Amino acid sequence: MPDERLIVEARGENLLAVRFTAMASPCEVLLPSMSHHAALAIGTVAAQEAWRVEKKYSRYRDDSVTAWIHENRGTPIEVDEETASLIDFANQCFDLSEGLFDITSGVLRRAWTFDGSDRIPEAAAIERLLPLVGFDKLQWTSPYLLLPAGLELDFGGIGKEYAVDRAYELLAARDWTPFLINFGGDLRANRSPPHGPWQVGIERPDTDREPTMLLDLESGALATSGDSRRYVLKDGIRYGHILHPSTGWPVLGAPRSVTVAASSCTEAGLLATMALLHGDRAQAFLDEQGVRYWLLK
Amino acid sequence: MQLKPKALQPNATNARRRLIAASCALLGAAGARSQQANVAPADSGLLEDWSVDSALAYYHEDGRILAIEPVVNLAKVFADGQSLNFNGTFDSLSGSSPNGALTSHTAQTFASPSGKAAHAYTTAPGQLPVDPHYQDTRIAVGANWTVPFTRVDQVSVGAKLSDEHDFLSATVSASIAHDFNEKNTTLSFGIDNEYDSLHPIGGAPVAGSDYALAEKQTGGKTKDGVGVLLGVTQVMTRNWLSEFNVSVDRFKGYLNDPYKITSIIDSAGNTTGYEYESRPDQRTRKSAYWENRVAWNSPLSTALSLRYMSDDWGIRSDTALLHVRWSLSNRDRYIEPTFRWYRQTAASFYTPFIPSTAEPTTGYESSDSRLGAFRALTYGVKYAQKLPGVGGRAESEFSIRAEYYQQTFAERVPVPAGLQGLDLYPGLKAILVQIGWRF
Repeated sequence: MPDERLIVEARGENLLAVRFTAMASPCEVLLPSMSHHAALAIGTVAAQEAWRVEKKYSRYRDDSVTAWIHENRGTPIEVDEETASLIDFANQCFDLSEGLFDITSGVLRRAWTFDGSDRIPEAAAIERLLPLVGFDKLQWTSPYLLLPAGLELDFGGIGKEYAVDRAYELLAARDWTPFLINFGGDLRANRSPPHGPWQVGIERPDTDREPTMLLDLESGALATSGDSRRYVLKDGIRYGHILHPSTGWPVLGAPRSVTVAASSCTEAGLLATMALLHGDRAQAFLDEQGVRYWLLK
Repeated sequence: MQLKPKALQPNATNARRRLIAASCALLGAAGARSQQANVAPADSGLLEDWSVDSALAYYHEDGRILAIEPVVNLAKVFADGQSLNFNGTFDSLSGSSPNGALTSHTAQTFASPSGKAAHAYTTAPGQLPVDPHYQDTRIAVGANWTVPFTRVDQVSVGAKLSDEHDFLSATVSASIAHDFNEKNTTLSFGIDNEYDSLHPIGGAPVAGSDYALAEKQTGGKTKDGVGVLLGVTQVMTRNWLSEFNVSVDRFKGYLNDPYKITSIIDSAGNTTGYEYESRPDQRTRKSAYWENRVAWNSPLSTALSLRYMSDDWGIRSDTALLHVRWSLSNRDRYIEPTFRWYRQTAASFYTPFIPSTAEPTTGYESSDSRLGAFRALTYGVKYAQKLPGVGGRAESEFSIRAEYYQQTFAERVPVPAGLQGLDLYPGLKAILVQIGWRF
């Protein structure tokens, strides 16, 4: 049973944080000082949306839409409107990344265990999984989906960013006060609080959570992708957990972490993930996009 | 193939443009949906963004009063932290109300307060005398407005009005709260002022006068009260909240129940007459209250409160109230057993009857059982279920609550032999069933 508690706490003199846990990540909504009652009312809206998205798309729940899609492999099914727009989005991302971003690539994790050890799977094990990867193997005519046998969909790569944007829309539609939504490091703010812009720290993924950079954020979204502590080290080569969907092998030479600023969290998250998938061309890719970004190598 | 990286460039920039378009389609679609959801409650107009707590209660005292009570509470928190709250209650009471007289071996006849002969009623031997024509409706409305005026201070003002056909009560209140210690501690101070106007049916009886003479005064009666409260709320740990407060209130004016009488009993145990009750015209109450709310783990939380009250009429009371909330299946449902224990000592002038051999009473007397010594236990359980939201709200909650109340008298005075065998202290049993819907 997930912990669905909300905790309100002061952050320095002028801010309040409403904290909760969702999508296996620490989440919070930052607000200017106000009554705890008012802060909870706002935080509840964001938390319930995060929990809703988690419940609907989690790979780990057997009552999720994802589980239902998997149960119906080989049968055409009609998905709901929200799921259809997520699959449409994944489809467009697959196209525009020329196959790099693929929500069917999760099956490759069966071969890889990124536990910091030196265990690399046998090439044959990876080869056996490759036929199960490929968004283009899906039959998708919105809202009708046919998922072939053996394939898996994983909305995990966009779910958290999507949840941030959805929660943002809900809070912004209510004309609330300035707020910053932060779901596990993916965040979005509407405008600066009265006492100056939001201060956002970007963590080094491989050290003890010491923020390495403090950014001032007034509005907009930041998303970070990285291989954090999830890697395999063999013969001096570090294999991060970002897997190339066409080879089944980790992308080599990618930065440890990429943070991208964009207008929506979904866009920022996709750009960060796509940058990592470009491996040693990550920086060049980001430069070409003309976005603000921060790399940790 | 030197050109290749360059050839990629427009393509890659294109990637971002297409990604923005795709994100907009995804979030735009979501936005449109949430907008739809926000538009939907337009029918409810005023209610948009207000949280509504509504309930319907059915209260039944065994053999006595039956009450049906709809309650509605509207609350809105504004972006700047202000909050506004309105509530309304409508009570419809009917049934039988004890008139204060003692159970007797002979039939007793009483005139109803309305004074109409048709409304006179007779109580059978061995039965507790009750006025069977008790009927009243009460309508009560209240409003409260809270304004934060600094980051750590807020003021709150409120007003309440309650109307019955023979009783009107108006209360105004104000409070101020100050947060400090990183908002982990809140100090509050409140003051309220109540003004009541009574117009007893048939006039207010002269206190302590003979019931048979029906000495009534014309015109209304009033009473008014002032109360102050000082409280501190402390966040002890992340999962433990403690609140302590002390309060004093003082009422002055006509504090009698105009419909209550006391039996006069001779040494053989026969009822020789009745007298209207007579209470002091002042009452000062002091109370202390301590509440602890603890979230033990994900599904279990408890709230335990203790109250001590004493007044200058000689009543001391203790209350302990425990709520245990057990959340089920992802917090979509919870079940909340409740247990309340209460005891009070009698007012110094409480007497179940007046011995006829006693000197004519010059002091105060009342046989109102609410001023006697008794103990009461309440057992309750509440079940609440979250449901899909209506009108763009994230969710709604349906709840049902049932309580059983049992009151027993704690002290029995020696009675003349003629009253032996009668149930002079019948106690009280009541049930409450309430269904609620919050959205």
